Parts: sequence; structure tokens; C-alpha cells
Amino acid sequence: MRRCSLSDGLLFLLDVAGLTPFRILPLLLPAAFLVVALVFWLPELTALLDNTYLGSFKASFIGILLEAMPFVLLGALLSSLLSVFIPDALISRWIPRRPVPALLFACLLGILFPVCECGMIPLVRRLIHKGMPVYVAIVFILSGPIVNPVVYGATLTAFRTHPELVYARMGLAFIVACLIGLIIYVTVRKSPLRLSIKSLNEETHRQDTRGGKLTAVFVHTADEFFEMGKYLIIGCLLTSAIQTFMVRESLAAAFDRPLGAYVFMMGLAFVLSLCSTSDAFVAATFLHTFPAGSLLAFMVLGPMLDFKNSLMLLSLFKTKFALYLFFLILACVFVGSVLMSVWL
Amino acid sequence: MSEARVIRLHYLLRAALLLAFALYIAHLAQQDTLHYYIAPKLARWVRLCPVPLALMALALAVQAFYGKGSALCDCEHRLPRSFVKSTALYSLFLFPLLLGFLLPDQALGSLAADKKGIILSNLGDGHPEASAFDTSDPYQQEFAELARQLYAQPVIPVYPAIFSETFGAIDRYKQQFEGKDIAVTGFLYRDGTHTDPASFAVSRFLVQCCTADATPFGMLVEADTTISLPNDTWVEVRGKLQIADYQGQEVIRIKAVSVTPVSAPSTPYIYTSPDSIAAWHQLLAAQEAAKMAK
Repeated sequence: MRRCSLSDGLLFLLDVAGLTPFRILPLLLPAAFLVVALVFWLPELTALLDNTYLGSFKASFIGILLEAMPFVLLGALLSSLLSVFIPDALISRWIPRRPVPALLFACLLGILFPVCECGMIPLVRRLIHKGMPVYVAIVFILSGPIVNPVVYGATLTAFRTHPELVYARMGLAFIVACLIGLIIYVTVRKSPLRLSIKSLNEETHRQDTRGGKLTAVFVHTADEFFEMGKYLIIGCLLTSAIQTFMVRESLAAAFDRPLGAYVFMMGLAFVLSLCSTSDAFVAATFLHTFPAGSLLAFMVLGPMLDFKNSLMLLSLFKTKFALYLFFLILACVFVGSVLMSVWL
Repeated sequence: MSEARVIRLHYLLRAALLLAFALYIAHLAQQDTLHYYIAPKLARWVRLCPVPLALMALALAVQAFYGKGSALCDCEHRLPRSFVKSTALYSLFLFPLLLGFLLPDQALGSLAADKKGIILSNLGDGHPEASAFDTSDPYQQEFAELARQLYAQPVIPVYPAIFSETFGAIDRYKQQFEGKDIAVTGFLYRDGTHTDPASFAVSRFLVQCCTADATPFGMLVEADTTISLPNDTWVEVRGKLQIADYQGQEVIRIKAVSVTPVSAPSTPYIYTSPDSIAAWHQLLAAQEAAKMAK
């Protein structure tokens, strides 16, 4: 076993720099690119600064990223606290064994943990590894971002004149989540997870981490942050590009048919990747253009499935299962909101 | 190079990136430019983010320098394995930092208003209230009360703190407000299809959470003379309220008496107010106090 000290660490740095330049090349390359790019672009930078498109792009990109940051950090921190402090057996003991009470339990979990959908995935992954059945986890992922007091309040504020739409949103989200949970309970038997962590391994490593459990918590949090962060950043890039270049009104006109409105609003929910606490306000601006049912589809689909969280789901589950899940969500939300529109 | 060393190097790079994120957010908070991106209620939480980010960076650095070799097993297989993957991953995280540090903070303007579609009237159900400042709907009470307060003013002021509520109140009671004097500040926005240089909208972005959900609100303005100011210029418009027809929709319009360029406000966006009536009384009281001081 090697001795560990500061000098050891420094030695290792020198070692790396002196002996194996080729091996560290991949890691230094981004920095090298940066320097070259800066040198070449610097004269043109002033021209770039004037570009209103770039300014608009930056405003929405950084906006979405900063908005998601507290939630991602919270999710990562909770997940890592779970992994370090809560023994595996505890969680599986809390979850009811029979499917129907388990589904209801998962819906209630959303009320207790009002975490935005971006913070949900790392937390859920950890819960699955701790023994939560996959169908219960899916219900939690789907209902958590909608069926909670914060989102209820925000939706009520946005639709003060149409309170029935608020109840419809909560109800439909609840029904869709439970239905999908049941379908998955019946149809999926094998573990759909992309990678399986051996909890035994973790147990032995935990003792070895320097600085005790506290360091372990933050190292785990950082792992989660980088794991989810890459999907978050790609999602933000796509979303803000669409926000900057897509003209909403002309697109809306193209879909001005009875069911076209549903397709358009669901597509919009997917590409805009809004936070579930603010999407109701955006939906409210379409109140006079589109039928209420399509707004419902927008508000239920968005938190369940959008650019950034579909990428995260793809990282959590095997591709086949993730696509199956996307199909179920789209189908249930579409059919559900069309049916609900009869009462609205 | 042994596996443990690769992991140490990854950890150091990650620590540096996390620290840079923490510094960027702290920098925004210190420069008071967070409000270019997110609403105040969310900014509270974002301001706390540098703390966990810095702690994560510290924990990773401790691991990289002092961690035992055996503890540094990449047991969850989460570190990128290849040249290309590592480059891609860390470039991706560098991108927002570069964008953040190199480009100036700039608020959304006419371009975004064009893409999102400006809102000139926000009556969801399409029927303006007929009777004077009265409503049977309990949800509309706040607007009715605000409308009553606004109507009592000789010149209706549009305070940024209650911009969207004021807009909503006037919009709902258009008929009553017709002919009243108003003074409003916003950025100048011309519709791409609207070519008349004497007509534009004085607009603001309403932000609920972050810039992704920013919604442009505007009041149409009709001036007697051609306004040669470019888009996105901040202007104060004074004039009389009218009702106009815009693309088949009844909207409010200001018949401008004066259009004066002003300096951009420190907070470019507007936010919803939890209690616009209380905010209105506070604003009035503050104004009275300012007058007394003079």
C-alpha cells in the first residue's frame, strides 16, 4: 500500500507531467483548444459581442442552467447522503409490497419531496439501487414534479380564471403516472437499468475515503453532478437554440387543426424544457389560441418528458426501456388530455 | 500511468471546473447580475450554490492529493475511458463557463420578443369587464381594486414592480380607461411585419422563474411623427389611452404625446407581485415621502 501525503500528491503531478505526456494529452486538450481559439478569435470577439442572436442565446442558456443548478445539486446531495448514510434494507422495508399501495406511496413521495425533475433522476437512481422497485421509481419520477404543493400553487396563480384546469392537471398527472407504473409492473420483469452498482463494493470503499464520511458525501455528489450535468448542459444547449431561433406564432398557425393543437403543444413542452413551477404561466399565454385540453397536455407532458430529462432517462435506463417509457408517456398524456377536454 | 493516477487527474480537473462554476455564480451574485437570468425568488437558492460546489471541489482535491490508491477505484465506471470522451466531457462543462465569463450580460430584447410573440392583450376568456371596476369573480377582485386605484390618478403611473398587474387591470377595464393619461417605460419593439415607423410597442419581459419562460408584454404606441429610435431603445412614453384593433383583437394603445429615450433600468425584467394592492400603497407612500423630502 502506498503512503499518502501532500508530497506524494505533488510528486504524482510531476510524474504525470514529466513521464507520460501522451497519457494526459486527452485531459489537457480542451484547455489547449481554448487557448488557440482565444488567440484566433480575440480580434473578432468585438464583432461577436454585437450579435444579438448570441446575446439572446446566452441569456436563455445561462438562465436555464442557473435555474436547474440548485435542483441538480439538491438531487445529487440527497442521492449521495442516501448512499452514504442509509442502509439498503431500510428503504425496501418502507415500500409496501403489494403494487397498488406501492403506487400510491410513490405519488405521496412526490408531495413530500418537491424536487424539480432535474434533481429527480440522481435521487431515483440511488433509490433503485437501494431496493426501490422500478415501477415505483417510475411513478415517483413522473408524478413528483407535478403532484406537489409548489406546482399546485403556481398553476393556480397562472390559471386564476380557470381553476378546473388546475385540478385537471393534478388529476391527469396522477392517473398517467399510476397507469404507466401499473403497465411497467405487469410488462417489465428484467432490470432495465443501464449499469448495476455492486453495493458490496461500495461498502468496502466507504471506509477508505480520506476525511471520513463527509468527504465521501461530497465526492459522491460531485460524481452525480458530472454524470447528470452533461445531459443537463446538452439539453440546455438544444433548448436555448430553439428558444433563440424558433418563431412560435408561425409554427402555431401551421398546427391550427383540432388535434394539431395537441401535437403542437406537446412538441412545445418537449423542446422548451421549462421548469414545472413556471410552465403554467407560459401555457396561460396560449389560452385564447388553443383549446384547454391541449394546454393540459402541455402542462402534464412537459415535467414528465422534455429534452433535458429524456437525455437523463436515457442515461439511467437501457435504450430499449427508455424508448418504451417515452412511448407510454406520450400515448397516455395524449389520450388522457383529449378525454379530459370533454369536461373542460 | 496507473489507474489510480488517471483518477487523481480526473478529480483535479473536476475540482477545477466545480470551483470555476462556484466562482462564476459568486461573481454574478456579487455583480448583482443574476437577475439577467433568473427571477429573485429563485436567485435566493442560486446564491447558495457556490457553497456546495466549493465543498465538492475541496473534497475532490483532498481525494486527488491525499486519497489512498485503493480508495480510488472507479467502481461505478463513471469516469470517461477514452481520449475523445474525456475531451468531449470537459469541453462541455467549459462551454457555459466560457460563455458566461467572455460575453457581456445582456437582457432579452426585441429579437426574443419576435420569436416568442408579444402579448398586447392578455384576456384569456376574451370578455372585458363591462361594469365600472366591479367583478363577481373573486379571482378578479385584485385587478378591480387596482383599476380603481389607478383610475383615481391624474396620470396613471406604471411602476415596474407591478407592471404586469397594472397592464392586466387596464386591459380588463379598457372601456373605462379610454382617454386617461398614462406614463410608461419600456424597450421599443417593432413587429417585423409592421412597417409603419410611427407605430411600435413599449414592452417589458415578464419572468416567472428564468429567461426560458420570459414572456414579452407590450402596449401599442402611436406617435404623430416618425420615431427614428432603433429597436431595444429604452423609452418613456406619455400619452392618452385608446382602444385599437390589432389583428382582429381589441388591444389598448397609447396615443403618444411624448416619446423620450431614457437609460436602461438596472433590472430589465418585470416579475409578478404577490399582492399588487399592498405594493401599490407602498409605492405611493414612498413617492409621497420623496416629495416631502424635496
